[in-house]
Amino acid sequence: MSSSEPNSPNQEYDSLYAKRKEIYPREVHGIFASWRVAMVTLTLGLYYILPWINWGEGRQALLFDLPNRKFNIFMLTLWPQDLIYLSALLIISALALFLFTTVGGRLWCGYACPQTVWTEVFLWIERKVEGSRPQQMKLAKSPWNMNKIIKKGGKHVIWILFSLWTGFTFVGYFTPIRELMHAVPTWDMGPWESFWIFFYGFATYGNAGWLREQVCIYMCPYARFQSVMFDDNTLIISYDEKRGDPRGTRKRGSDKPTDKGDCIDCSLCVQACPTGIDIRDGLQYQCIACAACIDACDDVMKKMDYDPGLIRYTTLNEISGKGLHIFRPRVYLYTSILIGLILAMSWSLYTRIPVSLDVNRDRNILYREANNGDLENVFKLKIMNQDSKAHKFIITMEGLPGSVLDPDEKEITAASGETANTLVRVRASEDVIKDRSTNITIKVTAVDDEKLTDEEDARFLAPADWFR
Amino acid sequence: MSDKEEIPKIQRIVAVLWPSFLTSGVAMIIFYWIFSPEELFPELIASGVGNMAIYSVTFLFLWMTTLTSCLLSCYFLRPCNRCND
Repeated sequence: MSSSEPNSPNQEYDSLYAKRKEIYPREVHGIFASWRVAMVTLTLGLYYILPWINWGEGRQALLFDLPNRKFNIFMLTLWPQDLIYLSALLIISALALFLFTTVGGRLWCGYACPQTVWTEVFLWIERKVEGSRPQQMKLAKSPWNMNKIIKKGGKHVIWILFSLWTGFTFVGYFTPIRELMHAVPTWDMGPWESFWIFFYGFATYGNAGWLREQVCIYMCPYARFQSVMFDDNTLIISYDEKRGDPRGTRKRGSDKPTDKGDCIDCSLCVQACPTGIDIRDGLQYQCIACAACIDACDDVMKKMDYDPGLIRYTTLNEISGKGLHIFRPRVYLYTSILIGLILAMSWSLYTRIPVSLDVNRDRNILYREANNGDLENVFKLKIMNQDSKAHKFIITMEGLPGSVLDPDEKEITAASGETANTLVRVRASEDVIKDRSTNITIKVTAVDDEKLTDEEDARFLAPADWFR
Repeated sequence: MSDKEEIPKIQRIVAVLWPSFLTSGVAMIIFYWIFSPEELFPELIASGVGNMAIYSVTFLFLWMTTLTSCLLSCYFLRPCNRCND
């Protein structure tokens, strides 16, 4: 099987236990290749640079601080109870993906997916070390000699170093990256930090270096279901069969043969494909819409003095002469839901009260009798000050008439972005307790700003045999 | 199922490792959204074990659990007529 042959489904089955056919994508130049380089630079640039940026003095702008259970997202500090915002963000991202897919097909896959952008970098390194596609194929076939060992070994060393840097950056999103950097020379990162650096590094090396298109084919859930978002008006990369067929080779500069279409069957579109398919066989789920085949084909068309666009971004409707319809009900629907969600989340974030209270019963004891015979429940309070300055908070309680809070109207200070922990006791005499479990509400309010308040319900428990 | 329709080996490996990784990640986020390591393991925290270690061990434990489940699914999906061979 020559390496320019596509991975058609039948061949895939036939080569069942055979080794996977190695794909050496040909390097292409053109408008879409430039777009991809720009996107790789942007996305990976952001990935490697963002954790080094600070927002406020010594506060990492993007830090999912797991040890302290708080997330810095630029000016915002989110806590576990703000998970709703994270969920909303994921829903918004998913809807945006649906919208982009409906309009432009697999734009995400071709230009922004981590698998694509890291594979691009790995391919670039491979080309720098091993040379062009034919040189890589020749090297793969050549016997193991010094040249092959140096080139193959060198490539893997660079890949591994780059992967480790990637893993280090990844952990830097969860542990302050500057502290992590200082710990590197003495190898003092902590065992789990080291573990995750190697784990993520290994995943990068394996996915972008070895698995490549198999990640898209076997691992990606989006690749499996993206077709449901497609309709006849979705932009896809397609070969214009009417114009191209019948295909056939011809000499450059010669007149166009009357019995042949524009496709000169040079197979460059297949050689350029990172997933090893032949776009001329029609839309296939392996196609990640990277448009490398468009760039390759347009280049050939230019050399042959034919019009570009034999392979192009088009829609099924356009290719069958029904015209382009970008704006359609589905697009309006997705757009309006998306805008609605973004507005709702922004409003919710804007009006968020930056204090939150967490009340937990003291797990060691449900209730106990105080010295004077009253019944006592103990609660652990966590007051999280998410405001940009420190506040003093006052703790109050309601819901069980005749009971007392001890210490009453207790004041506690929490610094900006910090959690203050304290214990309170709720005490009540037997005659005011009417039930085995009574709902009470514990409330914290900032002394200097009464709008800065939060409350949480808790239960005051009494012995069951009092009410038999 | 004929041999021609066999699932490639890499697809089987990925079908065990990858969904289990994703689901254990989600499960861990939800679990630690509700409980904090300080509440669950006060003794460990007091003895100097960091949150990072607790999160990591939980994740790996969950992953091994879900991985076992995926592995068993994969095993039981083997065509039954093969058992006679």
